[in-house]
Amino acid sequence: MSLQTLGWMVLLFPLGGTVLIACTSQLLPSKLHGLIGTLAIALSFASAVGALLALEDLGEEERQVVTVAWDYASTVGVDAQLSLLLDPLSVFMALVVSGVSTLIHVYSLSYMESDRGYTRFFAYLNFFVFSMLLLVLAGNFFVLIVGWAFVGAASYLLISFWYRRTTATAAGIKAFVINVVGDVGLVLGTYFIFKHTGSLDFLKAFDGAEEIARNDGDLVAGCLLLLVGAFAKSAQVPLHTWLPDAMEGPTPVSALIHAATMVTAGVYLIARMHPFFEQAPIAADVGAIIGCATLLIAATIGLVVTDLKRVIAYSTMSQIGYMIMAVCSFAYAAGLFHLMTHAFFKALLFMAAGSVIAAMAGDQNLDRMGGFRRAMPFTFGCMVIGGLSLSGVPPFAGFFSKDEILALVLAREDWHIVLGVLGYVGSFLTAIYTWRMIFRAFFGDPVEPARELESGHLYHAPEHTNPATGEVEDSDVGFPGPEHHIAEREWSMKLAMGLLAVGAIFSGLLQVPKVTDVIHKFLEPSFHESRFYEELEPSDGVTWIGLAVGALLALGGIAIAYRLWVKDPARPGAIRARLAGVHGFFVRKWYFDELIDTVIVRPFAMFGRFARDVFERVVIDGMFVGGPAGAVRAGSAAVRAVQSGFLRYYAALLLVGVTGLGLYFLVAAS
Amino acid sequence: MSVEWYLVVSALVFSIGAGGILVRRNPLVILLCLELMLNAGNLALVAFARAHGNQDGHIFALIVMVVAACEVAVGLGLIVAIYRRRLPIDVDELRELQG
Repeated sequence: MSLQTLGWMVLLFPLGGTVLIACTSQLLPSKLHGLIGTLAIALSFASAVGALLALEDLGEEERQVVTVAWDYASTVGVDAQLSLLLDPLSVFMALVVSGVSTLIHVYSLSYMESDRGYTRFFAYLNFFVFSMLLLVLAGNFFVLIVGWAFVGAASYLLISFWYRRTTATAAGIKAFVINVVGDVGLVLGTYFIFKHTGSLDFLKAFDGAEEIARNDGDLVAGCLLLLVGAFAKSAQVPLHTWLPDAMEGPTPVSALIHAATMVTAGVYLIARMHPFFEQAPIAADVGAIIGCATLLIAATIGLVVTDLKRVIAYSTMSQIGYMIMAVCSFAYAAGLFHLMTHAFFKALLFMAAGSVIAAMAGDQNLDRMGGFRRAMPFTFGCMVIGGLSLSGVPPFAGFFSKDEILALVLAREDWHIVLGVLGYVGSFLTAIYTWRMIFRAFFGDPVEPARELESGHLYHAPEHTNPATGEVEDSDVGFPGPEHHIAEREWSMKLAMGLLAVGAIFSGLLQVPKVTDVIHKFLEPSFHESRFYEELEPSDGVTWIGLAVGALLALGGIAIAYRLWVKDPARPGAIRARLAGVHGFFVRKWYFDELIDTVIVRPFAMFGRFARDVFERVVIDGMFVGGPAGAVRAGSAAVRAVQSGFLRYYAALLLVGVTGLGLYFLVAAS
Repeated sequence: MSVEWYLVVSALVFSIGAGGILVRRNPLVILLCLELMLNAGNLALVAFARAHGNQDGHIFALIVMVVAACEVAVGLGLIVAIYRRRLPIDVDELRELQG
């Protein structure tokens, strides 16, 4: 099959899966829907692999294939087509997305088994994968924006999946609103670029990048607006507050959407738009600084959060900060390499967390966990592999990808060195908070659920409570349904986690400094016009020192976490008491929610109230509606007096009128 | 006889009808007065037709009679309906159509 056909097939399978599941939701048993959904994504992944092979067959120069299905609107100045761009970058993203999605579908087969929304879940999940693939395969801005918005909608649907849980619906709305802010940024940014190139097609627009750069400021404005889109989708400061709340969704959703795929769309967007960002270095610098700020802020919050899933969520924000910093420092291959390894180990961590949460009967609070090491050996192993990879211990995947980012950022010299150093600080914090989470959940004295599990019985809560607020809720909707599923007892969860663990261990070997160069070489055709792609190369000294420092920081962080939370469990409390101010600041998430509330939400609400009370009531109701209505009413009151209802009065008027008219004509005639 | 005499009679009958409509309150009488007015008009039409020597006025008078018959039918029907609903047979009392 040709590359073009395979490209379309990658999209068609998830779309077909969604439609099929939705249309047969009442006809087929729900078990089958899970299998249909999983099969659709697996076939999509197979098509993506096929596309990869077909792409490799083409010559180095020809690896940017555009395929157009039909023209949506083709007039003077607008060329909206349904087109895909198949090049190494898009195929790489399609592989990561469909590959991780397949595993998460497999995991969900058991994990969501006793949920009443099983069918709905797989329909949504397939729809999400379709949207994400549309986003990464898009060949022009038009399709990109459609995919971008679809992904936001799918995210909203899945965060609010347990729709009778008020915290979940609120989180869904929050995510959707912030994502729409990003959509607006993306659309306006597209406008600034389209204005000058006159073409929505990526490749044509890229050719005009230098042209736009000569028009004072438009390209910078466009790139900054694209960054707004990327920040909202990728949960970067200050548009990040939706991501921790998105953990209200089911755990497979957190693994797929809010760790491995959707939140990396911003990284993809910047990498895709690199010709513009290289022409507008100011915008790229802003992106790099924000990425660096995010990775630090998120890491500090991750240190103090007590919700298991939210720790991983903040870690996701932090890791995406690395990626954004990388692609905005023009280290594209490193950023995308980290995107891939992150997809593996973060999805793995979430899946392991899901297993622990199931064993806790839905409770996510780290304070109530402990000692699961012996009760859940497989989950523990996966968590350790994910944790080692995330904190960057050699030779796990995260070690190579993170250090490559930092080495390349350092190679940019100037003030980028500051960013690189802060990146190392972040990686030190990463090791601490990751292992704090692992030590607290798996070490120490076994808690009640862990002891029950050791004796072969899965713990069930006496009543279902909302993990965020603790209030009692009905068991119809919300985790964990009547039955819980842990990795130790379900082969499909084991399979998915096992494969991801392999990825989290070995995928780093694709790009070992000075040894292998697979990702960099593979992506080269997508970045052939980049000035930095080949030139940006850290010196040998920086590379080796970076690797050594990274490994030492990771091990040091783990050692500190071990001392604090295993050796001397009283110490964290003492430190917390001593640094109460800082601790409170981190626990309140740097007051970002409050800041956004004061700066944006409240003024808007006030403006809304003003509009309702003053503008709507006085101006619209009073002047525009009340004015004409009052005039008509006053006029009619005068005329109405004539209509007395006396028949004889009417007759008299008639007679007088006719007589008067007759007399007039008589007089006029004479 | 010249046409003036006919017209004088016609005007007289018309005025009696009009006056009746203005002063009487019984709808039945008002209908009768209307008939007077219409027939005054008919008289004038026929008189003019004779004076001019053509048939147009006669035909007009016939049509007016048809209209008068219809009007009486409707009017009497209304009066019967008013009576059936035990409303006062008095046009001054029947004034619900005021604005």
